Amino acid sequence: MSQMFATRQRKLWREYPLWNWVGLFPFFIFIVFFLVFPSLRLFTGAFTNQEGGLTLDNLKVFENPNVLKAYIMSLQVSAITAFVGGFFGFLVAYSITQGGAPRWMRNVISTFSGLAANFGGVPLAFSFIATIGQTGIITAMLKKACFNLENYGALAQFLASGGVNVSDITNVCPLNPYTYGFSLYSLSGLVLAYTYFQFPLMILTITPALEGLKKEWYEASTNLGATPAKYWRDVALPVLMPSILGASLLLFGNAFGAYATARALTGGSIPLVSIYIGQQIRGDVLGNPNEGYALAFGMVAIMTLTIVAYSLLQRRATRWMKS
Amino acid sequence: MTHLELTHIHKSFGASVAVEDFNLTVKQGEFVSFLGPSGCGKTTTLRMVAGFELPTSGNVTLNGKDLTYVPPNKRNVGMVFQSYALFPNMTVAQNVGYGLKIAGKSKNEIEERVREMLSLIQMDKFYSRYPYQLSGGQQQRVALARALAIQPELLLLDEPLSALDAKIRFELRQEIRRIQQKLGITTIYVTHDQEEALSLSDRIVVMSQGKIEQVGNPFEIYNFPQTRFVAKFVGSLNTVTATVVDPAKGIASFDGINLEIAQGLNGKNKGEEVTIAIRPERFNFLAEQRKENVFDCTIENITFLGSVVRVQMKIGNSIFNMDTFNRPSLKLPNIGGKEQVTCSNKAVLVLAG
Ligand SMILES: Nc1ncnc2c1ncn2[C@@H]1O[C@H](COP(=O)(O)OP(=O)(O)OP(=O)(O)O)[C@@H](O)[C@H]1O
Ligand SMILES: [Mg+2]
Repeated sequence: MSQMFATRQRKLWREYPLWNWVGLFPFFIFIVFFLVFPSLRLFTGAFTNQEGGLTLDNLKVFENPNVLKAYIMSLQVSAITAFVGGFFGFLVAYSITQGGAPRWMRNVISTFSGLAANFGGVPLAFSFIATIGQTGIITAMLKKACFNLENYGALAQFLASGGVNVSDITNVCPLNPYTYGFSLYSLSGLVLAYTYFQFPLMILTITPALEGLKKEWYEASTNLGATPAKYWRDVALPVLMPSILGASLLLFGNAFGAYATARALTGGSIPLVSIYIGQQIRGDVLGNPNEGYALAFGMVAIMTLTIVAYSLLQRRATRWMKS
Repeated sequence: MTHLELTHIHKSFGASVAVEDFNLTVKQGEFVSFLGPSGCGKTTTLRMVAGFELPTSGNVTLNGKDLTYVPPNKRNVGMVFQSYALFPNMTVAQNVGYGLKIAGKSKNEIEERVREMLSLIQMDKFYSRYPYQLSGGQQQRVALARALAIQPELLLLDEPLSALDAKIRFELRQEIRRIQQKLGITTIYVTHDQEEALSLSDRIVVMSQGKIEQVGNPFEIYNFPQTRFVAKFVGSLNTVTATVVDPAKGIASFDGINLEIAQGLNGKNKGEEVTIAIRPERFNFLAEQRKENVFDCTIENITFLGSVVRVQMKIGNSIFNMDTFNRPSLKLPNIGGKEQVTCSNKAVLVLAG
């Protein structure tokens, strides 16, 4: 297999002389300087002490309960937003591909997704603060939607005669999310903000797979007696599953690495790994950069696993599509 | 015994009419082809039988039962698609057994039937392969087995061979006919390939622009086309517009040249215009003394088509094709040369439209 690959590679080089590859050089240089070098530095840094000697001591940072908490929080946020964004993104992608939504709506949604999936950081945080922050315009509107039982005299009397304390049902604002413990600056707020870029990312990644579902598969299964539900269970979902899992992993990794949105929104009150590392770099907490490297190394390891799993699933998804 | 009956089927998509007043009865075990050019409504008609399209009006009856409004998953009609449409996530065996699984058959029963079907299509060895590990021809065999496994009352095939190359197409064509005859299953076969239709069918329905042009067995369709369209589409008939000269004796003329027609011109009037057709293989170079239908011609072109040589010639102002067998002893004329050709008065057909 690798032999075959090697001969093919050699043939490629013969057929396409070096000149044709010149365009890739800036990219390679970029990768070497800003991906390969930093990763190496991270790797060596994680396993050396400040004097430059080899050591595993830096990994002790993972025994710190705050670090563990940060990892758990990061994994949680990533998993929840991948699931929520993935679910709604899938539904939207389904309606614009299989659901027969009009063509213009499809174009509008994919353009929007392309933009929104890349919207993040301070601007995103700000737009959420301006809309559903404590004093955001939508919050203000929801706060105003209040209900005073005293204004409904007859009903109030009736309920009072039944023993209900009318003053309890005065100035109730059932739509104000903050009365239910929601806060934009908490985990639920973060999930909401992340969903803003997660679900368009899901639309973008899953749409091609949904487009790959052939109408004939549906018709063939129907012809053999299957109901639409059985078609989804036996054909569509199994065919889509690698793509769905792959896309979810992509969403997971996307959230796991995010930093700026969370920092701008919560100012560091939610301990995510990325925020924790940021604090280390700026020397807020403990001044050992090698422990910072070890923390970052843990992140890189998780991201690498995610990417490997993603590409394996991708390969599996495209294998079926070959026929 | 009538098995499938289509009565006054009409189908429009918005303003455009795809199928118009389609009437057909198919006997039990009969192999019927729908033949016609692209867009003539073959697929649409087939899909109405399968239940994937609802007729705008008209009825589909199978075994005396009205199927018109029965949903496609309750019809027990097997269908084979042009693009194979095997389920990519299932093995060959799972594909073939899928309909039985849906029907709630036992594992043993499914297993047995799948083996039986795979041996019928001679693909026993491919039991656990996935579709992406099969060639197009093999995939289409499996699709056929999958459609037949549920023992449908009717088999529908929509251009099942058109995505395959010529050699496989020929093999699989024989295979389909063999299996169809072995099982005695009533079959409708959609194609735009006249050779396929002629070689496979008990009867052919020639269609054009949503309407039936002619229904007949291959012999009738090929030798006695009733309309100009059928004549042109099936085989490569020469057609020419002629004027009736003597209806009683069966004489018409084109470009000032008289033609004798054995079948006569009954019911036509002198001076009326008729469409005349002559098959290319019915022309011969003049060898013996002959009185009727001898024409002077100029040779325009000569093409080798393997076992047949096609000679293009000009009679009067009209172009005709003549096909002759490619024998080594054949003496071909020169291009541009003047020759005399003839055809029997029985070879001259008068078309309806
Ligand atoms: N879903 C549809 N919506 C609108 N028009 C349609 C639809 N399906 C078919 N038509 C039209 O109906 C006519 C007949 O189409 P049909 O697919 O039956 O042709 P066909 O004979 O099978 O052609 P081909 O040999 O190209 O497959 C065509 O003019 C086509 O454009
Ligand atoms: Mg068609």
